[in-house]
Amino acid sequence: MAEPELDPLSGRKTTGHEWDGIRELDHPVPDWWIKTFLISILCAIIGLWLYPGWSTPRQDTKGLLGWTAREQLVRDTEKALAAQAGWRADMASKSLAEIEADRELRRIAMHGGGLAFARNCAACHGAGGGGQLGAFPSLIDDDWLWGGRLEDIQQTITHGIRDSDLDTRVSQMPTFGDILTDGEIDAAARYVRALADKKPAAELSAMPGAAVFAANCAACHGPMGQGGRDFGAPRLDDAIWLYGGSVEEIRAQVKGPRHGVMPAFGRRLDPETIKMISVYVHGLGGGER
Amino acid sequence: MNGLGDRAKASRHMAARVGRGAPIKVEGRMRRRKTAVAVVLLAIFALTPLLRWSREGGPSQAVIADISRQTLYVFDLVFWPQDLPLVVGLLIAGAAGLFAATALWGRVWCGFACPQSVWTDMFFAIERAVHGRIAQPTARKVVLDAVLLLLSFVTATVFTAWFTDALALPGRLLSGTAPAAVWVSIVVGTATTFLLGAKARERVCLHMCPWPRFQSALLDSESLVVTYRRPRGEPRGKARLPLRPELTGAAPVAPSPLADTITAARDDSDQALRGDCIDCGRCVAVCPTSVDIRDGLQMGCIGCGLCIDACDSVMEKLERPRGLIAFDHESALTRAPVEAATLNPVARPRLIRAKTLLFGGVFLLAGGLVLTGLLTRQTTFLSLEPGRNPPFVQLSDGAVRNDLGLKLTLRGARIDAVSVHLEGAPDARLRLAESAPDADWSTAVIVPLNGDAAETRLLVRRSAAEATHRRDVTLVVSDAATGKERARREVTLWGPAR
Repeated sequence: MAEPELDPLSGRKTTGHEWDGIRELDHPVPDWWIKTFLISILCAIIGLWLYPGWSTPRQDTKGLLGWTAREQLVRDTEKALAAQAGWRADMASKSLAEIEADRELRRIAMHGGGLAFARNCAACHGAGGGGQLGAFPSLIDDDWLWGGRLEDIQQTITHGIRDSDLDTRVSQMPTFGDILTDGEIDAAARYVRALADKKPAAELSAMPGAAVFAANCAACHGPMGQGGRDFGAPRLDDAIWLYGGSVEEIRAQVKGPRHGVMPAFGRRLDPETIKMISVYVHGLGGGER
Repeated sequence: MNGLGDRAKASRHMAARVGRGAPIKVEGRMRRRKTAVAVVLLAIFALTPLLRWSREGGPSQAVIADISRQTLYVFDLVFWPQDLPLVVGLLIAGAAGLFAATALWGRVWCGFACPQSVWTDMFFAIERAVHGRIAQPTARKVVLDAVLLLLSFVTATVFTAWFTDALALPGRLLSGTAPAAVWVSIVVGTATTFLLGAKARERVCLHMCPWPRFQSALLDSESLVVTYRRPRGEPRGKARLPLRPELTGAAPVAPSPLADTITAARDDSDQALRGDCIDCGRCVAVCPTSVDIRDGLQMGCIGCGLCIDACDSVMEKLERPRGLIAFDHESALTRAPVEAATLNPVARPRLIRAKTLLFGGVFLLAGGLVLTGLLTRQTTFLSLEPGRNPPFVQLSDGAVRNDLGLKLTLRGARIDAVSVHLEGAPDARLRLAESAPDADWSTAVIVPLNGDAAETRLLVRRSAAEATHRRDVTLVVSDAATGKERARREVTLWGPAR
């Protein structure tokens, strides 16, 4: 390697390297650039010292002046809540019907409720509230197990279904496989299917399942299968079947009923959010009055 | 060597004044035209925001770029961000028009209409007025800067008034209720106006603006540019020297051997005759960019023609014909001297040329496209989002419901509601999700507008018999009152597979 030498034309030193006889003038990075670069690094170190970006599982790392990321989050959350204070107070004080009637509050409820629905409800009931056949009921159709008025929905969300909550909605269909014979269950299933198909009364009463139904099912589901919302007993005379509407599926449900469970969201969500979700679900197309 | 000397001379001239103060005052036709254009442009700039206009659901200002609404209102025209192609077309038309004007008349934009020229010219005039009244140098400087800063502030405030309610602006500024964005706009506008108009001035034209760099491509020998008619002016000499005889008609016309040379006759001791230029230097002294037009067309010349006024006034005093410097073709430099001396001071450009046809054609094409786009642009924006989760809803009586998210915006709508119905599904019944749960299903629903927009969830119900797996229908939006159709959109209704 050649030594740096003075270039007579420019008066600059060369780098000292030589490639096939070609030498290069030494043009170092300008001073101001180096200084700016070093100052930037210094700023980054000071910044990280003031606002540390790492934490251990045990504790939040405190900055030079006591800043922690968690406290910042708490402050930001409080600020956001303070900004919402106006309409949150309205949400809290007004009835569900008043909220729905108020254009601005309804708009907020539909947006906020939609967000809360996506986070809390969509996992089971689907992003669009369509439910899942065989598992979770649709929230947007016109058939409700426990009622589709605003207050009914609010009650269900707050206290859940078959939850440990004291006010939860509870009902238990007996396991008829232990009570009735397979023949009786089959007859009842065929009768229920005929109810849903709106067969004429004369034809219905002539069916062997009519007596079984009257003795075992009508108490909760109603004499004509119109359902009983006080016990969450589904309608049997319509086209909506959570666990399937074929004779086989009905038979299976009678023999060993499945029971859905919904958590009481009153434990997780504040009342205003529950109100917003209620208005949102009610506004999806299936709400009742 | 001659060329090098010219450049050195030119830079000496520039160095003599650039950035040092206002050029001296001049009167004449060009000055009057320049003033008139400036007054009209400044009046448009300052008065337009004050115009009022009645419009529903919008600002009462006739012309306003409403940032909060992301909308540009120009009288009855409403522009949204999606109208950007129109703006692009307008810019293309503007550029082509500017090119065409430059090919015909040189840099008239720079000399007369450019905001930088207008403000610099105005600030020069103020500087001359201040200097004429105050002798003490420090006081002069302080007063001048204060006045120009105030004018910059006014400029920035007027500019801001194009984006916010102009009539309310002064009150909001005085009471301190103006939002931060207004203050930022005013501060930035004041700073740029002061820096560019009061401090950088002609240096913007000479060093910052890209436009002068284009001019060699846009001009040709047929363009009218500010021209020193060299054959008539050379050789320069003191006024006491006798004129060349062919300029006075005393000798026959002969092609001047000096036609394409420049002779700066500083030393006239060995010179017996002179041309029309007496080398008084007025043309340089009045030039906003301090160029010497006698060196020929150059990048620093903004084509304002003030040197024409200066030279004409000198020619009048010498009782010589005006127009030694004039708007003329470059070809004037090769004309015979006597012909040049009697030329009409203002020549006409030749209109039919490749450049003018090309730029004019692009201008007309782009302008026509913008106009067509403006007349045929969409005024109704309809967005349909069919529910996908689930694609349809099974109802208790066997019927099937499809839910459609519907977003509608009507540009400049002056109606309260629209009516929505479906074509292609006679059995379908409609209802809005937000209507009362026990509301009736009907063949058409009324969607109320909030301002000029609506956002709702449209429920479409079909009976069990009609609910096919898939049916393509057309959703039609029309004015609720008049029944005039506004928009239609194909949409697919889904049902259970059978």
